[in-house]
This record gives sequence, structure tokens and C-alpha cells, in this order.
Amino acid sequence: MIRLGDGGTIGRVVATEALPAGPHQFHFWTATDTAIGIGAIVRVDAENGRAVYAVVVDGRAYSDLATPLHEVVAAEGDPTGERAPTRRTEIRLWTAAVLRHEPEEPVQPVPLADVRLATEEDVEVALRMDGYLRGEQPTGIPVGVYRAGGLTAPVALDADFLLGPESAHCNISGVSGLATKTSAVEFLLSSVFQKLPAHKGSVAAVCFNVKGPDLCFLDRPAELSDADRELYQVLGLEPKPFESVNYFAPFKADGVNLNTLRSHQDLVADVQPLVWGLREVLDYHEVLLNRDDIDAKADAFLDFLADRVVEKEFRDDWGGSHRVKSFADLDRLFRAIFDGLEAAGRSDSWRTHHIATIRKVRNRLINISTRCKGLVTDDGSVSDLPFGNFEDRSVYVLDVSGMDQLGQDLVFTRVVTKLREHLERGDLGVDQVVVFVDELNKYAPADGPDTYVRKMLLDISERGRYLGLVLFAAQQFRSQVHRRVVGNAGTTVFGRMDMDELATPGYQVLSPATKIKLATLPKGELMLRHPHFTQPVFVRFPRPAVLAGPAGVKQYPPAADVPFEDAVVRQLTALDRRIAPSVIRDAIAGRREEDVRRALLATKRSRPEDVAAFFNASLGPAVRRQAAGRGPETTTPLRSVEDPYAT
Amino acid sequence: MGAGTALTHVTPPVTTPFGSARVVEGARVGAIDVGGPEQPPEGVSFLDGIQRYAVEGRFGLVPVVRGYAAAAALRREGASLKVAEERSEEFVVVARERLSGAELEAVEAAGLPVVDCEAPERSHPIVDVQLAAREVERRREALEAEVAAACLAARPQGWLVLDGGLGGPAPEGAPPVLGLVKSHETQYLEGGELEAALTLPEGHRTSVFQPSTGARPAVFSWYLRLWPWDQHDLLHGLVRVERPPNESCIADATAVSRWLLAERAPLSAPDGRWDRLIYPIQQVETYLRAQAGGWQ
Repeated sequence: MIRLGDGGTIGRVVATEALPAGPHQFHFWTATDTAIGIGAIVRVDAENGRAVYAVVVDGRAYSDLATPLHEVVAAEGDPTGERAPTRRTEIRLWTAAVLRHEPEEPVQPVPLADVRLATEEDVEVALRMDGYLRGEQPTGIPVGVYRAGGLTAPVALDADFLLGPESAHCNISGVSGLATKTSAVEFLLSSVFQKLPAHKGSVAAVCFNVKGPDLCFLDRPAELSDADRELYQVLGLEPKPFESVNYFAPFKADGVNLNTLRSHQDLVADVQPLVWGLREVLDYHEVLLNRDDIDAKADAFLDFLADRVVEKEFRDDWGGSHRVKSFADLDRLFRAIFDGLEAAGRSDSWRTHHIATIRKVRNRLINISTRCKGLVTDDGSVSDLPFGNFEDRSVYVLDVSGMDQLGQDLVFTRVVTKLREHLERGDLGVDQVVVFVDELNKYAPADGPDTYVRKMLLDISERGRYLGLVLFAAQQFRSQVHRRVVGNAGTTVFGRMDMDELATPGYQVLSPATKIKLATLPKGELMLRHPHFTQPVFVRFPRPAVLAGPAGVKQYPPAADVPFEDAVVRQLTALDRRIAPSVIRDAIAGRREEDVRRALLATKRSRPEDVAAFFNASLGPAVRRQAAGRGPETTTPLRSVEDPYAT
Repeated sequence: MGAGTALTHVTPPVTTPFGSARVVEGARVGAIDVGGPEQPPEGVSFLDGIQRYAVEGRFGLVPVVRGYAAAAALRREGASLKVAEERSEEFVVVARERLSGAELEAVEAAGLPVVDCEAPERSHPIVDVQLAAREVERRREALEAEVAAACLAARPQGWLVLDGGLGGPAPEGAPPVLGLVKSHETQYLEGGELEAALTLPEGHRTSVFQPSTGARPAVFSWYLRLWPWDQHDLLHGLVRVERPPNESCIADATAVSRWLLAERAPLSAPDGRWDRLIYPIQQVETYLRAQAGGWQ
């Protein structure tokens, strides 16, 4: 058996007229008991000092048997008979794709010489990592280890090509459950956080948790095997969870229970509510309204609302004054318009906008607060990501897994757009942001309508590297994602792939053997394409040091939804365990839910030292309501206590 | 009718069509059922040789022939064949007495050993080359003998199978060596014995006999039918085994025949001689051809 990892000779280049050796591909044979396989990196040295590095992309074995019929004849038609005393001469013939010539010029066919297994140094040179792992300002980001036989060599990506500005973005494909897409992203993010050099500036990550509990436990450590720890050691990384993780999740429709699987009492205190008002939504109305039934007229009316009405003192044509700050205010305005038109006997248009357009826009907008209840509030209170105060090496997880597609689109678009705006102005708080989104095929499908979300993703893909806005995206089927989005990803990662997907035109450049390997990749192994790697390279990465979603849910079972009062108690006591539930119950007894919700939001957002005091202060003094005719109470009932918008 | 192969030329005349034989097993040569194939013993070696020659030029009418001869033995370990012994030579063959001193010096300047060959009184462009080629053949036979001797010296108990007859003098004792003859130009039997030999059913052998052609060293021999010959010609699948002449080879003729039957697999097809050429011998040929490089 050939010992591997020592760069020993394992084969010889062969070339025939029908199977010649070219500058980019050649063939070599090995002993039948060789341990090399698809993905192994080899080196060929010419006598004149040239060296060629290549990766094995295909392998064949055959004997001198001219036709299977000869075997039948020899065995006299009985396959169960005695084996032939002599084994036929066999060949293991490998095809290798050239990674690098050294020197690079002149480009010549591969010499017909001995083939050696690459050493660790050879792997570094073959993948051109020597250009960015060494020197005064190295930019290597460990991504996994290359393994062939006995050799384990670290493989790193170039930060300039992963996060920009040379190229950017990382796209991961693979079948669900087996491709370890989420794990790969978690590991890569951890590697970026640990190894991004100081001269590359600060970096944060915004992760959209679009399904299940995948990203809900990034701050919790996982049990790692010795093999995983060894891989971390080889890569020079610490196996540790993310140190700074900020969770955001919208409320459920009840407006108080958080819509996340990270709702266990021990963890829920870390989850900030994600709550937006009218302004936050209206600025991104294209997301919600860019369906076929919205036309230029509706767009014009929406612009009118955004520019002239929202958060401005606005007078309608019938003497009414409006300051629209919430959906409820907006609905009041619409009512006034419809009532005014009706009273005036006009029913066709208002301020050049046709009544049908106004009704359509009204329906769409009011519908948003219904469909995205929990994210969008009627009362104008807002709890948002800390745009402008992003912290270096922090992860911001937005758990939108419980929202419908419309809500997810809205959150995604608004957050990414805000990130872009802040990065353009240079006031986000960090120099670079990695945005991770799974199920990219839903947001940027290859087919279907040209949605605002897709346009935005295209924009990030094409311009993001200049801004420091980096897209890490994953999907099952790369072929179902818009070509320009995946095409602009500088780094492409493939986990276990579906054979049908591999049969699509996008994978024609891969050899049949590479496709088979991709279709059978074990968990934890990936195929990488990176601008410095002229051929795809297979690597193994360790399990991320964070608690996986399913394990997290097992360890921290989500709390069941509870009634309003109990939910408030649970969230406040999670912030400060010293508070007696009875104190909170007393404080909110008889108070309007909107007021309690607003106070709870403010408290969670501010995270004060004295939670109870802050909550009480936010709640304001209690206004005792009194039913008419109940005795000689002196307090005059406040007319405004009743919800003025409830109609 | 119609199953035969169409030929265009008369085949070259057979140099020695007939010999004689003395039956050494039983009273007369008859067919013996060997009882089917049996796995060969471990560590059997297979020996063959090749020769190549080319007329490189002429001094006047005298040809200068460059020759190459090689012989090798592959030993079967497990089921794989490994090189056990090999020899090769490259040389120039000329009729020295026909060359001047300067011409001979020019030949020697090529840097290859110079081998003398017979020089008939009259020059003949074909016969002269044939005589040189015969020297090449002798060198090949000599190398085969060297390789055989080396094999037997290295593994006295290991079987050695040669391609063709046992040419050299019989080694001392009863070495486990046999020659496998594929061509049947010389017929040693006659009459009913010949018919019995040439119409052997598959898996049968003849009784052991001692052929005689005058100058050749004494051997014991028997015919063995490897493949059925019906629907083919008489010689299809028929080999003749030669062993050093001693009593033990009569005793183990059936056992040897049985493992030779097992050598039918793998088939040496598409080689045209597949019915008589066993695969390991073909592999020795393949190895030698590969080693011959430009001489292939």
C-alpha cells in the first residue's frame, strides 16, 4: 500500500493520440491498490523544473478483456464456477484537471512524468493560497481541510474575494438535510469572525432564519467530537459559539407572544421584538404591492401618501386635520376621504386620484397590518435593528420563520435596503455585513415575476462588494435561482446534490465522476469553487461549535403560548428574575393591552437596570375607568380612553 | 459447408512433418478423461521470449541486421502476475567474413555487440537476411534458457511453464517444468493413435509418449484438448505438453492436465490463438512487447 501524505510517486502520466496530455487536462495511471480518489490533488514534475498541480476529476478501471462475451466463454457460461487462476491485467486510469503551472508561462502540455501526491505545501501552491496566506497582509479565511489518504491540509478562502472588494458573496447548494448548508454557513461565519484580519475592518452578520429553529441557538455551545476538535486545530480556529448574538422576532398575532422557537424562559430575554409601524412599511410598499394588480396610478397615490401625508400635518378637503403616524391614523384618513366624497356627492376622484385607486391602495395597506399582525402595529410603536450601531463580530438573527411569505419579503427587503443605505453612508457601525438567507430560490427565482425582492438581490449581487454588503445564500437547487444572483457569487459551495439537479446545464463543466461524488457526499464535505481555485476542490469542515436547531429545541423547548398577562410576566421576569410576577400582574391590571405592549416593547428595547421601574414608568400612571352611574366618584371619564380607531 | 475460413495462399511447407513416438504410458496412445479443471498450484511461473530484427542497411549486397531478443518469466502470486526473471539483448548481426575491416569497424561503431552469422557462398538478398534472423532466434532461445535456469534455481519446487517445446538439454532430476506446444507441424503419431490424438474430446488427454525427431533432446509428451473442436478444425484447442523424460511426469500427467484446463480462463482472446494460448503466456508476450519499446 502506498503511503500517502508524503508526496511519494503514485503514478505516471500517460498520453496517446486519442488520449493526449494537454495544458489543462491529462491522464495518469496508478497501481490498483492506490488510495487516491476523485478530488485528490497531485503534482507532476518535468525534468526542466516545471511543476504542474492538478486535481483528480475522473477515474476509470478496465482490463484487457475485449468483450464480456470472452468471460462467458472462459467460464463456460457459469458465473458461479471457480475463479480464473490469473487475474486479468487491470488499469486505474485517472483524469486530472490542471490547477496551476509553475512557472505560469509558457503554458504547455503536462509532461509525461511521474505523478506524486501533493504535500501540504503543494496544496497551498496548487490552490494559489500562497498568494494570500503569506505576506504582510494575509487575508486567508479557513474554510475546511483537504483530505486525500493520509494528508490533511487546511484550505482557506481569500477574504478579498469572499467579502469584497475583488469579488464577494457565497452561494451554497445542496439537498435538504444532507448538504449541511446551514452548518457550513455557521462555520464559515465563525471563521470570518475569528480570522478576518484587522486591516479588513469590522464585520457583522445578519441572518434571516426562514425556517425552523436553524439559527436560533448560535450563542449556545455544541458537543463536538474529537475529530471535529482536531479539524478546528488544523484550521487554527477556536471551537466556540458566537459571542455576540442579537435575536429579533415579530410577535404573534396576539401581539405579545414572540413568534420564535427561541421562546424558552432561559433564552427569551435575548430576543428583541421586531415591530414596525406605518412609515417602516410604506417606504417599502413596492414589496407588498408590486403584484400585477398594482399599476402606475396606485404607485402615484402611494408616493403621495408617503411624501405628503405620513407624519405630516395634513388637511383633507373637508376641514379635517390628520397627522398619520399609524395604520389606524391612515384608515381614519381614508374614512374621512370616502365620507367627504360621499357627502359632496362626488365619487369619482380626490386630488386627481381616482376613487377606485384610493380604495385599492387602502385595501392593500390595511390588509398588511392584518397579514403581518405581530410585525406591523397599528399604534405606531417601533422596535427595530440597531441600524447605525451595529457591532463588530456580532450576529443579528431575524427569526421570520413563523411569518408568511409576504411578511418575510417585507422584513428581508427593508432590512437589506436599510443595511445598504447605511453602508453607502458609512454609518452602519461596521464596515462589512454578511447577510445570510436560506431558500434563495424563493427570493430570487430564475423564473416568475420580477419582484422588488429579486431586483434588490440582483443589486446586492452586482454592487454589494463595493459597499461591504455580502450575500451568503443557500438553496436546494441552484438552477432555480436567478443566474445573475448565483453567477455573481465569487465563492460557490456544493454539499450533497440531487442527481436531477446535476443533470441540468449548469453542471456541464463537472466530470461524471465529480457529479457522482457530489451526489454521494457525506455530511460535512463540500465542493468549493473560489476565484483562486481553477478547479472545484473538495473539503471537509468541522461541525459548527453552535447548538444545532433540532438539538437546541430539545434542550430548550419552546414555551407554549400563554394569555396576555402571563406572556408579559414571562418576558419581564426573563429580563430580571428578581421581579415577582405579582408585581407585574398588579401593574398591568386594568391597563389597555396597547399600552402594556408599548411599555413592554420599550423595556425590552432599553434593557434597563431596573426593569420593573422602567416598565412602570413606560406604562405611565393608571387612569381608572369608571362606569357611569356607579356612585359618587369624582373622576371624569376620559373620552379618549376608548380606542378612537375602533370602528 | 461454408463454416471454414477462406484462404488465398498455399501455406509454407512444413519443415519436419513427421517424427516418431514411443508410448510410455500404457500399451498404445489412447484418450484419457482428465476429470475436469482443477486449480493450479501456487507460484507457477510462465516463460516466453520475443525477437525482432530489421535490415538497417547493406555493405554492397551484405545485409546489416539489427536484432533484439528478450525473454521473461512472470510468476503468479495469488492471482497476479509479477516479473520473476527477464533478459534482453540488442545487437547487430552481420556475416563478418564478407565485410572489409573498415566496414566492420563502421558496424562496431554503432556501439552494439556484433554477432556473426553464416555466410553462404553465393549472395541472396532474402536468404542472407534469413540466416541473420536465425541468429536472432538463437539469441532469443539462449535468453529463454537463461531465464528458465534462473527461475528453476530461484524456486526449484515452483512450476515453470514455457511457451513452446522444451528446447534445451533436460535439467537434472525431475524439475517441475513443462512446455506448451501450440503448433502441430510435426506429427509423431500415426494411424489410429494419430486419429485418437487429433480427435480428442474436450478435457481429454492422450497417453504419454516420447516423441523423437532426431536431434532434439528427449522429452515426454501428451496431447491435451482445451476446447471442443467440433465446428472447428482438428487442431482447435489442442496443445501438446512436453515434460522432461522421467517417470514422475507420467504419474502426474492427469493432474497437470487438469490445472492446464483451468488456465483456459481468462481467455486470451482477441488473440487469434486464444484456443491454445493460455492467458499468462500471452501476458508474458505483452510484457515483453511493452518492454521492447521502439522494437514493438
